[in-house]
Amino acid sequence: MMFFKRFAFLFVLLTLLAPMSGTRQASALQSGTEPNTPIEHFIVVMQQNHTFDNYFGTYPGANGIPEGVCMPASLSEDGSKSCVAPYEITDEPISDLSHSSTTFLGQYQDGQMNGFIDTLNRLNQDGALSMGYFDDTHIPFYWNLADEYVLFDNYFSSAHTGSVTNRMYWVAGKPGSEKNRIPEDGYGDIPTIFDKLQERGISWKFYIRNYDPALNYRNPQELDYLHPQVQWVPLLNFDRFLDDPELSSRIVDLDEYYTDLENGTLPAVSYVLLLGATEHPISDLSLGERATRTMLHTLMQSDAWESSAFFITYDDWGGWYDHVEPPQVDERGYGFRVPALLVSPYARMGHIDHTLLDHTSILKFIEENWDIPPLAERDAKANNLTSAFDFSMAPRPAILVPATREVPEPRIEPRRIVIYITYSAAILFACLIVAWAYANKENFHAARPMEEIQP
Amino acid sequence: MSIKDSSFVRDRIVTGISSTRRILVDWRSWDRALVARVIGIVIVTVVAVGLRVWGVNQLGYNTDEAVYAGQAAAIAQAPVLKDIFPIFRAHPLLFQFVLALIFSFGVSDLAGRLLAVVVGLAAVFVTYQVGKLLYGVKAGLLAGLFFALMPYHVVVSRQVLLDGPLVLFTTLTLFFLARYALTHRPAWIYLTGVGMGLTFLAKETGIILLGAIYAFLALSREIPVRLRDLIVSTILMVLMIAPFPLSLLLAGGTRSGQNYLVWQLFRRPNHTWDFYPSLVPEAIGYLVILAAVLGLWFLRGERSWRERLLLAWIIVPAVFFQLWPTKGFQYLLPIAAPIAVLAGRAIAHWRPNDIFIRTRRIARRSWIKTSAVAILAVSLLISSVQLIRPATSGTFIAGTGGVPGGREAGQWVRANIPTGATLMTIGPSMANILQFYGHRKAMGLSVSPNPLRRNPSYSPILNPDAQIRNGNIQYVVWDSYSAERSPSFSEGVLRYAERYHGRVIHTQSVTVTLANGTKVDKPVIVIYVVHP
Repeated sequence: MMFFKRFAFLFVLLTLLAPMSGTRQASALQSGTEPNTPIEHFIVVMQQNHTFDNYFGTYPGANGIPEGVCMPASLSEDGSKSCVAPYEITDEPISDLSHSSTTFLGQYQDGQMNGFIDTLNRLNQDGALSMGYFDDTHIPFYWNLADEYVLFDNYFSSAHTGSVTNRMYWVAGKPGSEKNRIPEDGYGDIPTIFDKLQERGISWKFYIRNYDPALNYRNPQELDYLHPQVQWVPLLNFDRFLDDPELSSRIVDLDEYYTDLENGTLPAVSYVLLLGATEHPISDLSLGERATRTMLHTLMQSDAWESSAFFITYDDWGGWYDHVEPPQVDERGYGFRVPALLVSPYARMGHIDHTLLDHTSILKFIEENWDIPPLAERDAKANNLTSAFDFSMAPRPAILVPATREVPEPRIEPRRIVIYITYSAAILFACLIVAWAYANKENFHAARPMEEIQP
Repeated sequence: MSIKDSSFVRDRIVTGISSTRRILVDWRSWDRALVARVIGIVIVTVVAVGLRVWGVNQLGYNTDEAVYAGQAAAIAQAPVLKDIFPIFRAHPLLFQFVLALIFSFGVSDLAGRLLAVVVGLAAVFVTYQVGKLLYGVKAGLLAGLFFALMPYHVVVSRQVLLDGPLVLFTTLTLFFLARYALTHRPAWIYLTGVGMGLTFLAKETGIILLGAIYAFLALSREIPVRLRDLIVSTILMVLMIAPFPLSLLLAGGTRSGQNYLVWQLFRRPNHTWDFYPSLVPEAIGYLVILAAVLGLWFLRGERSWRERLLLAWIIVPAVFFQLWPTKGFQYLLPIAAPIAVLAGRAIAHWRPNDIFIRTRRIARRSWIKTSAVAILAVSLLISSVQLIRPATSGTFIAGTGGVPGGREAGQWVRANIPTGATLMTIGPSMANILQFYGHRKAMGLSVSPNPLRRNPSYSPILNPDAQIRNGNIQYVVWDSYSAERSPSFSEGVLRYAERYHGRVIHTQSVTVTLANGTKVDKPVIVIYVVHP
């Protein structure tokens, strides 16, 4: 009898729980687009043409320019034996240094890393310029970000060539063409991270500053050259991203980033091209800083901040010197190190991350965060960015990082002890005199005879 | 042994109860004068405390309070606030120093207000003492009552302002000087110097009363002073004042002090000549002033150095600040206590038969006096209650009370605006409040770029367009109080909000009563986020 009672109880219990478990399953299915970390919005800004040493070579604690470095001015036996040490760029004009794959090989010198000047000199460029570097006087905002959030000092460009190929690694994990050039008929059906996101129903957008929707790989003839927008936004070289309204509608002007933040519609994954402010030599670096700062601060001021990660990196090295020999994982790369910064409420504070990373690590993070299979061999093998996060901590409140470097100028901190001593002494002194006056009863009762006072 | 049998219970409690009962039953044996005095003191105390504590923290700090409390927080090294508020500004730091001792346990606006209340109650007590010393207990009690009820003092002693301590120490100095005049004992002239020193440390403008002391002693030949005593008194005053220059010199604030001196000397008039005549008599109480004046006239037969002392204490600061181009509602507060004493004296010494000589039917003087006191007290009470009730019109005069919505807006800023943000306000008044409660940097658009035309504590926004475009200013704040005073800068702030895609992220409203009596929520502070 007891057995039947127990059986009946169990049956009823299971009957009651069954719909609930079904609900949970349905819920799990619906939440398939949910990220695996607290990061619900991942924004990546890819700037241009600087090495780690060129931007952060003198940043304290990072793997920056080694002491005593002096780059040979010439590698030829009969050439000059002089050398050029890294120097801070001040007022001298800079130029757009060559950064082709040939230049890389010349500068790389099979791992000797001693051809930075010689290679450029041979191209009739001022090779010594490659040894110039910027510091916090030139890029104070980025240095401030590094102080507060995460700076990566082992992050490499994916390919030892220019922007086009590196940006293909950024979106597809593979080069897209043999040379650093967009094929005449586009990239065809190479899958990109955005195809995968689209398939999974995960929101994404490619924001372009000063976007001109009329410009893509199909109409270069009108301009006689490939417009930077076309070169630096790989998606504009895919037919499906131009023709399918579902896809093309997600390539938008940067203004939409601000309205998306305002409306609470920031997508899960955002790639950004700050056209006109990419810091590509010889442009004004402060334009890039100002553009990223505005984007970042607007994010910080929005509701999306608590679940966001903002990543800044550079597509290629731009011909500048970097002292770390890039690991060669295949015949295309890595290229030299490029700067990379991560800003997030979950980013470690003032952390320098030494994990070996490249542009495909960005893909790796997206793939692992949203359960997307790898696109190619590179991103499958890449390390994730997660070492820069600490998801165990509560999200940090936003800090609007200043645009200027707080120079530790002689701020005179008031000596508070002087205030405490002098004012305490005054109060004590007054109390003592009052006590003295009141202690003498004569002071109250007997007025002195007038003649005693009068002189 | 039962508890009743214990010696302690038998000796102390039982005996105490029985003796108290005996005293209460035998009430005819009471000293009526003493009882009256006790009742008077209780009434004055209850009134003084009640008016100063009632809803004391209902509204947040106004701009001046925010500045002084910010200084105290900076002295106490309170996180964030110590980097926002400079320690050295225009005034000495006695009150801020005492407040800093409290803030070292945690910054609290209520604690600051309660300290101001304690100082205010002390001033009421000293006013009572002055009246009692000069004209007897009744006059002292009436002076204390009028002062306790006086809107001018009530409103200031509910706020974290330097004028509360100032009036305490000026009245204390008056008390010491009166005591000297009575006894001719040098100890009291020494203490007068100490009192002047404390007055200066509370607020340097109190030094004007040196003129009152000089005028009184010069005009009172019956109160001679030895040169030696005067020198000692002056030395004591200088010693008391010493912490101000010493701390400026040794703690690194010399430059601030010099900047303020230059600014104060070349500052343009901030109010018209009729500022004091139109505000102060009402704040003191027309009937109180009338009583004081009538007393001076009708009791002219009792004229002595006492009235000369009180008049010197009133006339010197009144004339000086009327002539001084910079005017402030609280500046004349030191004259309130002597006016209260004169009014108390007038009623205490008044013999109604002198006036109502032909109407002898009104026989009982005390009834008439009681009625006069009641009328005065009720008129003051009504004025004070009206003044300390939260403003419902959305307008305010600097120094008259808190700013509705200011604290709440600041707390919202602290909770919702990222660290490192900078806000642009119409003027520095709202900036101070938002900085104190919001812990974020705020700058007033109206702050002049000309160093001679601005308070040295404030930084101007040089090229606001560039500041917003460069991301150095991320928020714009409009408030109705500043807008009313500076319509052009109000328009300027709104123009920047519009130009840089301003989006309202917070609106702070207060309930106001319209002319027809209906209550509506009026937005008083609006915060926009802007971006290039």
